[in-house]
Amino acid sequence: MIAHAIFFYIFSIIAVISAIMVTASKNTVHSVFFLILDFISISCLFIMIGAEFLGMIMLIVYVGAVAVLFLFVVMMLNVAQQKNQWFLSKSSSGHIPIGLIISAIIFFELIIVIGGWKYKPDLFSQNNLFEDQISNTHSLGQVLYTDYIHIFQISGMILLVAMIGAIVLTYRRRDRVKTQSYLKQISRERSEGVELKEVTSNEGVKIDD
Amino acid sequence: MEISIIALPLIASIISGFFGKIIGDRYSEIITSLLVTISAVFSGIVFYEVIQNQYEENIVIATWINSGTLDVNWSMKIDSLSAIMLVVVTSVSSLVHIYSIGYMSHDPHKPRFMAYLSLFTFAMLMLVTSDNFIQLFFGWEGVGLCSYFLIGFWFKKDTANAAAIKAFVVNRVGDFGFALGIFLIFYLFGTVNYSEVFEQIPTIIDKKLIFLGLELNAIDLICLLLFIGAMGKSAQIFLHTWLPDAMEGPTPVSALIHAATMVTAGVFLVVRCSPIFEYSELALNIITIVGMSTAFFAATVALVQTDIKKIIAYSTCSQLGYMFFATGVGAYNVAMFHLFTHAFFKALLFLGSGSVIHAFKDEQNINNMGGVWKKIPYTYTLMIIGTLALTGFPFLSGFYSKDAIIEFAYLKGNTVGYYAAGIGILTAFLTSIYSWRLMFKTFHGEYNNKAIKIEETHESPLVMLIPLILLAVGAIFAGVTFKELFIGYDGLNYFWQDSIFFLEPLSSDHPPFWFLILTPILVIISIPVAFYLFLKNKNLPKQIAEVNKPLYQFLINKWYFDELYDAVFVKSSKKFGLFLWKFFDLKIIDGFGPDGISSLIKKFSIKANKFQSGFIYQYAFIMLLGFSALLTFLIVQ
Amino acid sequence: MTEIGLGHYLTLGAVIFSIGVIGIFLNRKNIIVILMSIELILLAVNINLVSFSIYLGDLSGQVFTLFILTVAAAEAAIGLAIIVVYYRNTGTIRVEEIDKLKG
Repeated sequence: MIAHAIFFYIFSIIAVISAIMVTASKNTVHSVFFLILDFISISCLFIMIGAEFLGMIMLIVYVGAVAVLFLFVVMMLNVAQQKNQWFLSKSSSGHIPIGLIISAIIFFELIIVIGGWKYKPDLFSQNNLFEDQISNTHSLGQVLYTDYIHIFQISGMILLVAMIGAIVLTYRRRDRVKTQSYLKQISRERSEGVELKEVTSNEGVKIDD
Repeated sequence: MEISIIALPLIASIISGFFGKIIGDRYSEIITSLLVTISAVFSGIVFYEVIQNQYEENIVIATWINSGTLDVNWSMKIDSLSAIMLVVVTSVSSLVHIYSIGYMSHDPHKPRFMAYLSLFTFAMLMLVTSDNFIQLFFGWEGVGLCSYFLIGFWFKKDTANAAAIKAFVVNRVGDFGFALGIFLIFYLFGTVNYSEVFEQIPTIIDKKLIFLGLELNAIDLICLLLFIGAMGKSAQIFLHTWLPDAMEGPTPVSALIHAATMVTAGVFLVVRCSPIFEYSELALNIITIVGMSTAFFAATVALVQTDIKKIIAYSTCSQLGYMFFATGVGAYNVAMFHLFTHAFFKALLFLGSGSVIHAFKDEQNINNMGGVWKKIPYTYTLMIIGTLALTGFPFLSGFYSKDAIIEFAYLKGNTVGYYAAGIGILTAFLTSIYSWRLMFKTFHGEYNNKAIKIEETHESPLVMLIPLILLAVGAIFAGVTFKELFIGYDGLNYFWQDSIFFLEPLSSDHPPFWFLILTPILVIISIPVAFYLFLKNKNLPKQIAEVNKPLYQFLINKWYFDELYDAVFVKSSKKFGLFLWKFFDLKIIDGFGPDGISSLIKKFSIKANKFQSGFIYQYAFIMLLGFSALLTFLIVQ
Repeated sequence: MTEIGLGHYLTLGAVIFSIGVIGIFLNRKNIIVILMSIELILLAVNINLVSFSIYLGDLSGQVFTLFILTVAAAEAAIGLAIIVVYYRNTGTIRVEEIDKLKG
């Protein structure tokens, strides 16, 4: 149990510090890196407490896809380097106290909820219980494709829509590139392509284009 | 037929007023004059019926108000009193219509003028043929309104506009008293129809009321209030200030309204309500005093006026004073007789002066006239006839009516009567002096006009002279013809019957002979006196004026009435109005109302605009604030 | 303190949540940091759900976390696409200069 506690504290402190650094660092690329560190530490936490499938999936999806996407976009756009830390510059220092106060309020309220609540042992449902014999992945699989199949399909739809949406938003046609549109080529009519002209001898033909 | 008497002028007015532009000037003149003349002919027929067959009728045209105990009808009451007024109003009106065709020939707004004249005729006819106080008030206000229109006819002139407003406002003061009188009548009797009111008068002889803290006899109060209305309409002293300024209107207007008809509405009111006035000794005395004061006052002011129309206007004021003090001594029929004859000669004088003004190409100051009696002989002759009639020269119509008034005042017997008779004689002398002054200065002596040469003065066209001739016939013969009918002893029973009420029969004595010839002698003497003063020895009036400078100033400033009213009423009203506008209206009402609300909304919207900054993080911040508030609320609950 | 209970995990979740919330409206750098703060918030929610799932022994928490993961990925993709297009149109992604919604 001590190891449990030590690891918990290590991972959680790393997570909190990197969360703070996400918003506080001057360089945006550093922010992204700190976000990645955050995800990794939380994922280790998940593995530690027994939800290893979720921890792995978080690593693959969040870190491998989402954070890398962030990195791509940050590098593509011309993100200027801030001169000072944002909480030191004059233009914004007026807002900081109020913001901190408000989030402190939210934090304390969340804590109050937690503190006031005693664990209620009669809350857990009888189905979907852990079984010690099978792994977390196996048990998740048992539940996901049977009871939650509809939501599963819908989340697939969400991903599809997101993909199409991202393509549609950012798609642009380059003007100077010459491409062939075979649809136009095939659907050409004889009347558009061929024209018969009467020619008088020794006069030639004027082709107007 | 009777209804057409009052309907035809209305139709004429509507046609000329609304369609005048379409049908053209000539047609609107012809239609209005024709319709009003037909109305005059019908009135003559009705008058004849009343004289011959004692025709009396109350024709109800339509019901107007029927609410609770108040039952008021549009009606035509034909009896001797209203028949006389019908004849006077319609005949003078038709002659004025015809005269205007000539006088206003250079004016671009002829249809409007004719429409207003006909509308006025309609309103006056409504007034005299009503059988209840409310229709009377309708006609009363209608003539006031038309007077405003007509005085301010040349609306581009500032003085005309001011004069029209002055007439309306001063009239309004009188109307206020009149309205209070009508309310009091309704309060006491529960009805406003003449017949019912007159029946019930004797029942409340001893009733007393509290009015403004004073305890007054009810009938006295009613009479005083009604008389205030008459004072306003008939330009008696204190409410006379509008009449001289009303000369800003065209001359036909002065002839119709301010000589023959509107100003006589007050006299008509008092005579019509004779059943009420007979029971109030106090009111009758007050009427007598007011009447004779007005007569004297107006005559003194007319002595020094220089505008030809203003002299005749003050003369009208003075003659109205005569009529009122005739009613005051109880001689209602004599007052009506004087009204009848006065209408003719005063209209003649006004229209004649219009002819003179026309001849001098719109010059109105008698100091700039003179010496044209050979050039405009017809006008001269007709004006002489009018002046003779006005002054009461023997055997013309004014002689019979004016002298009858003085006789009856003397016969009344009490101090007020004697006093009134004395002032009446003095005023007759003054009247004659100023009338002949007008004649001599206008037509005799040297030619004083600087603007045009004497060869350019010309006689008026026939369309203007014919009405003058007709009026002159009336001025000469109306007196002797109708004397027996109006004021003869038999007339009381035969002609007047119930239309006038006498508490005690008028005395049929005759005053002593010396008294009877006093007035005519004075009148005849005044002619050479005036001749001497104004033609032979022109310096004498100037010397008299120099010697009595304060008196002269007093007279020429119209006894300072206008200045007095200006200082007391006008200035304070203006200040009050200014205060109300600047402070109350602008700051308080506008400040709390539109301006205040709009500036408040502007301030708020500027503040609200800051919320829409476009910065998403600020929006997110607001959302967060809301979320934390919700959370706090849920936790605390 | 050494006994790690549910409360500790929930507190961790609350802390990360608050930090993500601060990041949204206190940052003055660029929009991408906002998106990253949103990811942090979602992460905090995931921690919450998973810890409840483990401590109550109910698998539905983990299933739901899977779906949240899906949605977060989709939303990050779309959000970044929008930022890219916006950058193409206006040339800046600094937070102070994005005020097109200004009314």
